[in-house]
Amino acid sequence: MSAYPVAILFSRSGGYSRPAEQGYFGALAAVADINADASYPFKLEAHHADPQGNADRYAALCRDLIRNTAAQHVVGCTTSWSRKEVIPVVEKLDALLWYPCVYEGFEVSENLVYIAACANQHLVPLLDYIVPRFGLRAFLTGSNYIWGWETNRIARDILHRSGGSVLGERYVPIGDEDIAHLIEEIRAKRPDFILNNLIGPSSYAFLAAYRALGEEDAAFKPENCPVVSCNLYENEIGLMGPVAAGHYTVSSYFRSLADRENSLFAERMKTRYPERVADAFFVQAYASVIMIAEAIRRAGSDDAQKVLEVVRTHQIATPLGPIKVDRATNHVSLSAHIGRARPDGDFDVVHSCESPMAPDPFLTATPLQRSYAEFAGATPKLRVV
Amino acid sequence: MGPAHFTPNFVGWRALILHRPHQNVDALLAQCARIGITGEQAWPMLDDPDAMRVFNVLLIDADMGHDEQMPWPPGRAPMPIVALIGSEAPGRIAWTISHGADAQLLKPIGSAGLYSALVVASQAFVRRRAQAEEIALLKERLSKRQVVAEATAILMLTHNCDARSAFDELRRAAMAERRAIEEAAEGIVAGFQPDGRKNVTSGR
Repeated sequence: MSAYPVAILFSRSGGYSRPAEQGYFGALAAVADINADASYPFKLEAHHADPQGNADRYAALCRDLIRNTAAQHVVGCTTSWSRKEVIPVVEKLDALLWYPCVYEGFEVSENLVYIAACANQHLVPLLDYIVPRFGLRAFLTGSNYIWGWETNRIARDILHRSGGSVLGERYVPIGDEDIAHLIEEIRAKRPDFILNNLIGPSSYAFLAAYRALGEEDAAFKPENCPVVSCNLYENEIGLMGPVAAGHYTVSSYFRSLADRENSLFAERMKTRYPERVADAFFVQAYASVIMIAEAIRRAGSDDAQKVLEVVRTHQIATPLGPIKVDRATNHVSLSAHIGRARPDGDFDVVHSCESPMAPDPFLTATPLQRSYAEFAGATPKLRVV
Repeated sequence: MGPAHFTPNFVGWRALILHRPHQNVDALLAQCARIGITGEQAWPMLDDPDAMRVFNVLLIDADMGHDEQMPWPPGRAPMPIVALIGSEAPGRIAWTISHGADAQLLKPIGSAGLYSALVVASQAFVRRRAQAEEIALLKERLSKRQVVAEATAILMLTHNCDARSAFDELRRAAMAERRAIEEAAEGIVAGFQPDGRKNVTSGR
């Protein structure tokens, strides 16, 4: 039986290892599932390299993985910064990078498949849900790199065009936990909600300090002024415990999504990784490997271009739903669910979009002037019950 | 040109790629489709300037392009220009600059680059056009400095006041007539009769 190499490029150490490791385990879980499934006439061989959260290590490690293992497919990268480093490598070696994390958009590479939401599939539905319920005045935070800068810029653009305002915008270096100044500024400016684009320990420190602020002043309790995120999922919420409860995240996947198929999948992953939660970071990497395997089976080859052609022409069943890659953008249609964090680390799904949303990485088909004003103007602050 | 947080949108734009049929053109057409632009290819000559009006941006070939392809003199294209550069020979780059290329894409064209080139070229084009208009206006004002000085002198004489009060009066008159100061000054100079009789504009 033939075996196809699959390169796995996630940082199991460094400043954002917690979400990055989810990708690692999600990819490995799918490799194990494929290898245990007799209907696939081949095995997958996972080859992992750990860039340790250092953006400068990604390109070299990716090149080594492809050259040394002859892998045509790389599943990896968590931050946009690292993805930008890897693009020239996969383009030059004509491999495919399967990128399984939400990102800010404004990118299409022929050698990338984007198996997660871009801004029209995360930030836009998140604001559409939050603004009419909490108000038009936002405070923007982020870790100091492209994800936060660009996601906050889009939020600012949307709010300004839609009658809203931005009371402040602050960044901290990746990994920095010194966020007291942020809390002070929020206390002084009293926004309606906080858009959180911090990652890793900065995000945990911020939510802990913000919980303390809410205990001093009820205006900053989550039911009055929530922290809303596009990439803060169960695995990290669970780590933080009750400090994140009541805050909101938008995602294409939540473990608590109620359909039967997902319940079975979630149960199976829980048994396999009792100490781990299969959240969006995990499931998107899992779905990437499933798509690679299914496409190899149909193509009879792991050739990057042949596999790409299959995933562009066939819907493939994944825990994210059936997925077909959009030929023009190499992105995928995805659902947007709004989750409110519970103290136990899971989310209550409080809203879901009606049908999967087409990807719009350059925001050319998404009106940025949203109809918020009529809601927020007509009703004093709605309280979510 | 919007504020820094503004998301550029090129939906509905038409781009003309002045380049022989080539893989690079195919890559550009794919990038066009992705950002909502209709791309068309032409080679070797462009149509007359009127037919060119439908295009929002022109991509020119730095490697094989020449002045005679264009229906307008160098630097007078009525739209933003992006240069497609293969050979980075200074002479070729200078040629694209002479035609007003404010942004470049290096060959081989891959899957990215057009979006940023369009943002840069379109904003530079708008800025350059606004600056040209402003410079023309300033030049005209400059050429009329003499008439403003004359009108001020006339008002000093007829109102028996100092230069500052006379100029304030001139400015008030221009505002009242909703005209530029230079135009109001021309009126005063034209209406002045050196025998000391007061004219309509400045008379009181």
